[in-house]
Amino acid sequence: MSLVNERERKNKPLSPWKPKKISANRSSKKAAAFPGVKSLNGRWGYICVTPFVVMFAVFGLAPVLYSVYISFFKWDPLGASTFVGVRNFNLLLHDSDLWLAVRNTFSIWALSTFPQMLMAIGLANVLRNTRLRGKSFFRTILLVPNITSVIAITIVFSQLFGRDFGIINDILGWAGLGHHIDFIEGVIPSHIQIATMITWRWIGYNTLIFLASMLAIPNELFESSSVDGATKWQQFRFVTLPQLKNTITFVLIVGTIGGLQVFAEPQQLAADGGSSKQFLTLTLFLYNQAFVNNKYGYAAAIGIFITFIVLIISAVNFVITRKISNDGTS
Amino acid sequence: MRNELMTKFRSKAAIASLAAVAIGAGLFTAPAKAAPPVTITIWTFGDVIQRNLVAEYKALHPEVTLQIKKSDLDPLDGTNMVTACTSKTGPDIVATEVSYSGYWRSYPKCFQDLRQMKTTGEPTAGIPAGQSATDIAKNYLAWRWQQGVAFDGSVIGIPTDVGGLEVAYRSDLFKKAGLPTDRAAVAKLWPTWDAFIATGQKYNSKLTAAEKKAGTGFIDNAGTIYAAIMNQGTAKYYSNDGSETGKLIYATNPQVKLAWDTTIKATTAGIGTRIGQYTSDWNIGMNKGTFATILAPAWMMDYIKAQAPDTAGKWDIANMPGGGGNQGGTQLGIPSYAQNKQEAYDFLTWYLAPAQQLKVFKSYGLFPSASVLYSDPALVGFKDPFFNNAPVGQIYAAGVQKLKPIFEGKLQRAIDTAIGAGLGRVAAKKQTPAKSWAQVLSDLNKVVNN
Repeated sequence: MSLVNERERKNKPLSPWKPKKISANRSSKKAAAFPGVKSLNGRWGYICVTPFVVMFAVFGLAPVLYSVYISFFKWDPLGASTFVGVRNFNLLLHDSDLWLAVRNTFSIWALSTFPQMLMAIGLANVLRNTRLRGKSFFRTILLVPNITSVIAITIVFSQLFGRDFGIINDILGWAGLGHHIDFIEGVIPSHIQIATMITWRWIGYNTLIFLASMLAIPNELFESSSVDGATKWQQFRFVTLPQLKNTITFVLIVGTIGGLQVFAEPQQLAADGGSSKQFLTLTLFLYNQAFVNNKYGYAAAIGIFITFIVLIISAVNFVITRKISNDGTS
Repeated sequence: MRNELMTKFRSKAAIASLAAVAIGAGLFTAPAKAAPPVTITIWTFGDVIQRNLVAEYKALHPEVTLQIKKSDLDPLDGTNMVTACTSKTGPDIVATEVSYSGYWRSYPKCFQDLRQMKTTGEPTAGIPAGQSATDIAKNYLAWRWQQGVAFDGSVIGIPTDVGGLEVAYRSDLFKKAGLPTDRAAVAKLWPTWDAFIATGQKYNSKLTAAEKKAGTGFIDNAGTIYAAIMNQGTAKYYSNDGSETGKLIYATNPQVKLAWDTTIKATTAGIGTRIGQYTSDWNIGMNKGTFATILAPAWMMDYIKAQAPDTAGKWDIANMPGGGGNQGGTQLGIPSYAQNKQEAYDFLTWYLAPAQQLKVFKSYGLFPSASVLYSDPALVGFKDPFFNNAPVGQIYAAGVQKLKPIFEGKLQRAIDTAIGAGLGRVAAKKQTPAKSWAQVLSDLNKVVNN
């Protein structure tokens, strides 16, 4: 946030919104009615962004500021609220559930992001193949999981992952890899179950993004590499992958933001996040504090904690992205 | 904001249509009492509002349109109602599940006090005019009615169904294990919960090694015993000290200790299969005979029929150990910012009147909370062939009448959740009972004090 503000402040002197210009426009009304390029950037530009700014202020900024405010209270939306200072934050940092939720969130994030990315790149590489039949069909059905209701996905997957009669346990049993694994009570097994749902839902979307950026790679690069005698694998490794660097960063950022918001899947498996809170994620923790335990102020403090985590991750992403783009230009 | 706009728009539309009706009446001298059209909005979940009764009401009141909105994620609509009450908007009728009763009884300001409403009267349906909630209270089960009464005595909800809780058992599996199969003899096996656990152990001892390896057991999930015992007492986590919130007694109430200890005993005795209710494993187990008993509320009978149609006739219903039980139920109330309170109240009193509750019981298996029906031959004589012609009406009616009113408090849901998780940890062998209870107390300490 502060980075953005910094940039905005630096940009301010360049803004065409100057008193001089306004008086000039006022003096000649015709010029204002048919504005030139410069005033289009100025006054009309502001008018054009107004709808977004208003919507953002009402639905984005105001709730954020409001939750900062209520995080300093023992808040009851329907009754009396008392100011408690930083008590909520103090309690939060000493709450073992918070650190459990951080662990679970990052574990599920890692299990869902990295395998998914590898598979998505692999799938995109297959779909890029010009000799593949029915390309558009495959590209279309890839998006079907993405538009399926999370609730429906959870119902189906929890059947697949059933401990006693689930098909995945059957397969594992035949393969001799395990028997009656409890994909809800176990810590890692439950994370695997949730990560699988997320992967299934988002892999098609990411595949299409990788596919789009693969198709944007100039064909000359492939041609010249094949002239140099590169194998398919070498082409993939030394031509395709380096060109995907920016896309990988993008997918990683989007995946990270999504990963910090994982909520519906664990909530549907068990609303309390499991008997030993083994899959209580940060957002589920927030939700339960607010709407089960009626601790709205405490929940707001969790929200601010999540914001700080996102800020840290964004800063890391920012540094990495800049490094990558610098590498690209040099 | 959008809601406000919508309401404004709607009321403008209503005025416009009113004007149209008035003009129409003036011009064509239409039938004398053309009631103005009105839309009643209802926030609900599941099948609380039954479709064929909605059609029936439409025939009775063509001018009334019922707009029903069901919620999915939090099926009980707790959060939406909080938002509605803070922003001074809301539907005309809201359904709240009993696990929320403890919360809402602290906030009567969010609901219209139904004692102050009067029915318009529905002569064709046998509903006299001028009846307030106080007048109709006598028709309902007393402890169940109490769940819709706020701390200041105002009536914020009228009960729809009552869950009841009895033991559904597989007579074929009982026979195989050498246990009696007749429902009276079965009920005699377990006058107490200890006897129930002993019966479970006896059943399990007759299982073959292969069945044991496949996870077969006596009851589907021993954890369900906890809530059953809690409801048989006179107090749960709060005592009524006359205050708005009540006094927390979860750590000292002997009923909590009894329920916890008995459930732990059943769990460690291994009479349960550890299958979670409403999972796919549960549905399959019901068909395969993985478990021989379920503690079943009346509304679960329909679920069993739908999930395990091939087991028809093999099931039967016997009395609960300890006598009587309940699980679930819903109240319908009118939020204080409702637009059409009178029409909503008229619908409510019709929909929840004994005659309608009987229809719902017959077609959907939801057990009536209208206790005047408990002596009605249509209910008492009702037998279910799926459950070996058990007189389910009579069994459940007797069971729910054994219960006492229980004071419910604001954090009841949270406390139930924490204790349920504690029982789950013991069942999954993650913690010893003592350690798990210690964690329950420390979790609850955070819930209460943080």
